[in-house]
Amino acid sequence: MKRPALLLAILLCFLAAGLMTYRILKLGYPLFPMAQGQVWQVVIEADIEPGQGESQLSLGLPLPRRGNVLLEESVTSGSYSFNLLRQGSNRVGAWSGDGGDERQGFRYRAVVVSGPKRISPEQPPREGDYTLKIAKEELTALTIFFASWKNGTPKLRLEKILDLFKREKEFSSPSSPAVQKWAEVEKRYGRSESLLALLAAVGLTGRPVKGLRLEEGIQTQPTHWIEIWLGKTWEALNPETGERIKNPAQLLPLAVGDLPVVKPTNAKLTELRWIVNRQVVRQWKLLFERIVRSNHWLNRWSLFHLPDNFQQTFRILLLVPIGALMISILRNIFGFPTFGIFMPVLMALAFRSTGLLFGIGMFAGILLVGYLARRILDRLHLLLVPRMSVMLTLVICCFTFLALLGNKLGQKEFMAVGLIPFVILTMTIERFFVVIEEDGLRKALMTSAGSTAVSVIAYLVLNWERLQIFFFVYPELMLGVAALQVLIGRYTGYRLSELFRFRNLRKAS
Amino acid sequence: MLGEFRRLKELGVLSMNSRNADFIMEGNPRSLFPLVDDKVETKALAEKYQIPTPALYYLVEHQGSIKEVPQKMAGISEFAVKPARGSGGNGILLIKGQNDKGFLTQSGRTITRAEFAYHLSTILAGVYSLEGLEDKALIEALIHPDPVFHEVAYQGVPDERIVVYRGVPVMAMVRLPTRASDGKANLHKGAIGVGIQLDNGLTLSGVHHTDLITRHPDTGHPLNNIQIPYWEKILLMSARVTEMTGLNYIGADFVLDLDLGPVLLELNARPGLAIQLANQSGLRGRLEKIDQAPREIFQTAETRVAWAREAFGKHLC
Repeated sequence: MKRPALLLAILLCFLAAGLMTYRILKLGYPLFPMAQGQVWQVVIEADIEPGQGESQLSLGLPLPRRGNVLLEESVTSGSYSFNLLRQGSNRVGAWSGDGGDERQGFRYRAVVVSGPKRISPEQPPREGDYTLKIAKEELTALTIFFASWKNGTPKLRLEKILDLFKREKEFSSPSSPAVQKWAEVEKRYGRSESLLALLAAVGLTGRPVKGLRLEEGIQTQPTHWIEIWLGKTWEALNPETGERIKNPAQLLPLAVGDLPVVKPTNAKLTELRWIVNRQVVRQWKLLFERIVRSNHWLNRWSLFHLPDNFQQTFRILLLVPIGALMISILRNIFGFPTFGIFMPVLMALAFRSTGLLFGIGMFAGILLVGYLARRILDRLHLLLVPRMSVMLTLVICCFTFLALLGNKLGQKEFMAVGLIPFVILTMTIERFFVVIEEDGLRKALMTSAGSTAVSVIAYLVLNWERLQIFFFVYPELMLGVAALQVLIGRYTGYRLSELFRFRNLRKAS
Repeated sequence: MLGEFRRLKELGVLSMNSRNADFIMEGNPRSLFPLVDDKVETKALAEKYQIPTPALYYLVEHQGSIKEVPQKMAGISEFAVKPARGSGGNGILLIKGQNDKGFLTQSGRTITRAEFAYHLSTILAGVYSLEGLEDKALIEALIHPDPVFHEVAYQGVPDERIVVYRGVPVMAMVRLPTRASDGKANLHKGAIGVGIQLDNGLTLSGVHHTDLITRHPDTGHPLNNIQIPYWEKILLMSARVTEMTGLNYIGADFVLDLDLGPVLLELNARPGLAIQLANQSGLRGRLEKIDQAPREIFQTAETRVAWAREAFGKHLC
């Protein structure tokens, strides 16, 4: 009986490999499909209360540079007219009109691809591009004090400035007059402005930048940073800490230099917010546009043709069999126990919404509460089905309590508790109780550890984006997973745990 | 670690995966499982093949008939309550006597009539049944264990487990209750398994969890060289179990009653692997030997037993 299983496994592998090869060789699929960079949707929403007569709102718009590519932009302007102005390297969106005293709402939307492969060369600064707020005599004084620094390379100069800025190395004690002068300027003009002055004093060009962080969420204040021209590129710095920003592609500039991010004229700004969303599916779509457009039947049957929200579901679903495969391996090759067969995989799915730590914490917490309740319930001698119903009710009560608590504390992870599969949780409490009763606490804890380990690994696998893309582009890989499952199903050798179990069996027969 | 794999292979140890795939799935058709999973069916079948089982006093099939039980059992002071589809000795209640307050259990505890009715009710609800399905409760005659194991058993009833493959007894052990196992004869609850020499029915050394032992941990008496009474009869009864059920790989559990002699207690379609430790011998080697045995030895229970005693008896010292 071993042979047919082996044949089936080979057939499945062959099918998967064949389809993949065909796609790669004939249809020109990428061998290692990888989404380069990330796609973000940036929405700016602004409300104004206009004054009498003509009013205007100017907003700094995303700048297409530094590895950021702007894909599509759209504006809604109501009864106002919209103009796109260029001011230096900045782009300013200006909404103007006479709206009476009615409240006006404007919206700007753009899709930004950050960090694609090719980064275009950056524009060097021109003389007089950026003005300093610092008084002329102060700047002259700084220039004199730090005249000796001018000799080094831009990089070296910047490093010295940062040491001074952070009071590190030779600048840790404020003894020299130069350091004292600097401290005075810093006190008077603030960290950001004084840093720019110091840069100018040693002959470096620095500029203040306001922009957005490319991370999911709503931002109501722009992020400030400072950029320094180092001859070929602009180096980004956090003006508060003096630290280099390691991944400037994660910042989207809106206004460079002195230009404000927002400027209402004859109007009162009542609301302004920037909404940043990551667009995973769109990102993939861009990369596989060819697949979507092609007329080959394999392409027409590609998962890329599903509506976006279903694509979302399927990129996770396609990886679930891997989780099941892991459980087979753990149980049949390692001999490590888990609660139920698929409980860890379902938990891994739930952890996607709750986060790993919160997920495990809430699960363990409810398990403990449930176990204690189950012990008390045991004395009441309830029959099986009603008893399970009581436990289910208890689990839902715990969910409700956690969600309300989360709402109070502002922890949305607590509110996501509802996505933990409650039936599985109820069953797990029952199993946990039975295992403790019948096989002892040790075995119960071991089983818990096994289940947790699998769900954590499964969670990491499910969230591995490269693997998601790989399976999404080549869904036939599931046949390969099935082949492995078939092979494990025919593994009749010893489990690792049996080496331990039969360690005392010595005599040869 | 690879060496450990090889060592177990050389000893012919049967692995859990191999037992499931090569013997249970190969030799035990799923459709026949109810015959052994349900004690009521096993009992009826055993009767047909003249294999003695404990006498059935009353079968509780519905929650409604629970209230009739005390009345039906009025004259009988000793009996055992078992779930028909139970496993691992769970849900079994041994009653030694009755009084005004209720029932006296084997372990000396008194349970009220209400508690007794609740226990029956949980059995019927399927709390102890294999798949959690509705179940029946058997009320059977209490076994009075033969005193042969008196010194090496802590309370409870010791039983003899015989693994039978294609009608041939393969390996045997006696399972002795301990204080830790709470009088139950289940190895994973802490009972001891003691190997039995297949040819002459003499006990070997024992296994407690995964450790080898030579003396009972509670009584301190040596475990080896105890002669199992009725050994030939037990082997013959076990050999007929395959004809009776049609299952090729089976574990048969017998108890020795003082008056009735060996009695079939239950059958198991998925017998455990610890018997290998108790006998210090691998099952796989013996199973393969049976597969290579000449066809004529399979003719009757007698020929199969004779062949097994010859083939597996001298393996052990």
